[in-house]
Amino acid sequence: MNKITIETLYQEKKDELSLEIVTGKEFLRQRKITTYDIFRPGLALAGYTGIFLSDRILIIGETETVYIKTLAKEIKDKRITTVMRLGTPCIIVAKGLDIDKKFIEQAKRRKIPILRTSMSTTPFIHELSAYLDYKLAPTKYVQGTLVDIYGVGVLFVGKPGTGKSECAVDLVERGHRFVADDLVKIVKRGSILVGSGAEKSNRLRHYIEIRGVGIIDIFRIFGVKSVRLRKRIEVVVELVLWDEARGDFERIGIEKKIKEILDIKIPRVVIPLTPGKNVSVIAEVIAMNYLLELRGINPAKEYDIELKRVLSEKEISSVHYDEHIE
Amino acid sequence: MIKETVKILNENGLHALPASRFVKLAEKFKSSIMLTKDEIEVSGKSIMGILTLACEKGSKVILVCDGKDEKEAMEALKKILEGQD
Repeated sequence: MNKITIETLYQEKKDELSLEIVTGKEFLRQRKITTYDIFRPGLALAGYTGIFLSDRILIIGETETVYIKTLAKEIKDKRITTVMRLGTPCIIVAKGLDIDKKFIEQAKRRKIPILRTSMSTTPFIHELSAYLDYKLAPTKYVQGTLVDIYGVGVLFVGKPGTGKSECAVDLVERGHRFVADDLVKIVKRGSILVGSGAEKSNRLRHYIEIRGVGIIDIFRIFGVKSVRLRKRIEVVVELVLWDEARGDFERIGIEKKIKEILDIKIPRVVIPLTPGKNVSVIAEVIAMNYLLELRGINPAKEYDIELKRVLSEKEISSVHYDEHIE
Repeated sequence: MIKETVKILNENGLHALPASRFVKLAEKFKSSIMLTKDEIEVSGKSIMGILTLACEKGSKVILVCDGKDEKEAMEALKKILEGQD
């Protein structure tokens, strides 16, 4: 399971979410979040702790702040202590509100950081959840090459030396857009897969190694139109050496092969490599075929239907075309 | 299969030059060579893969060699990572 530290959350979002540290700067790094859900401690402060989700960020809004002011001091302190004993990775106070001293005292004791945002509670929760959902989404790294061909994200996989990088350069030359080579980071976003480069810096992106030439800069050579940062992955193209393919490739196209990545099924096409084969053109055809299929057009099926109709006719007439044409 | 955690001792980390030496050497072995850092695994025979890991000096990587010549591969490749070569 993915996790991020409160430190990461604070550093990456402090400006956008207008966050400031109230207490516990030294605990930011130790505290980790594993879920994008948040928790409002209203009921817990009212005395009900039958369900308490201690792995979630605790958000204190105006409701909680006003409510605890109505409590007698001993009750209030007792309930805050209970909430803090049950635990949370971090407390965030919304709307720039002041937080009860008991929270701060307990937070210091229990090493729980407290942050404050000037944003209103509901918009803050939406933005925070969206960010956490993005950061905590299931992620996988695969060895391959990702290119946007006619708007279709095609992920090339195959053993080293099957020509994935060379194919990417050829596709870029034909006007398609390069996303990542060698190491592709795949993030599951809802029911789709989004691929990007895994580089630690944006300025290290869009380089390709071509054996015999070295590292080349796709952005500088082919320009801004030739690259993109991320792309939904829609088709996997597997490049295999002819003798290793053992007939495991499609001849008609009625049965579809499927590749499962992070529990999402996407079409898989196996291309056996032979000398002189133009993989780029085949990849373009795969992308266009995929676009047709999205529109409900399946050439293999249509061919088969027409063939069956012809076969069912009692007399097959041998002339289908007007012989005067062509 | 042999697996070892290796500390990068190369001055300036694993930049282009040591990485290319690593890949060239790795390609000479029949064994599969995999390098893992921060839970990201790349092939030791791919230069961009290794560079993408951005292994700074002092960081730890897991080197896995699997095949007939795995022992020789591990010994030789470890030296590059440790900057002894």
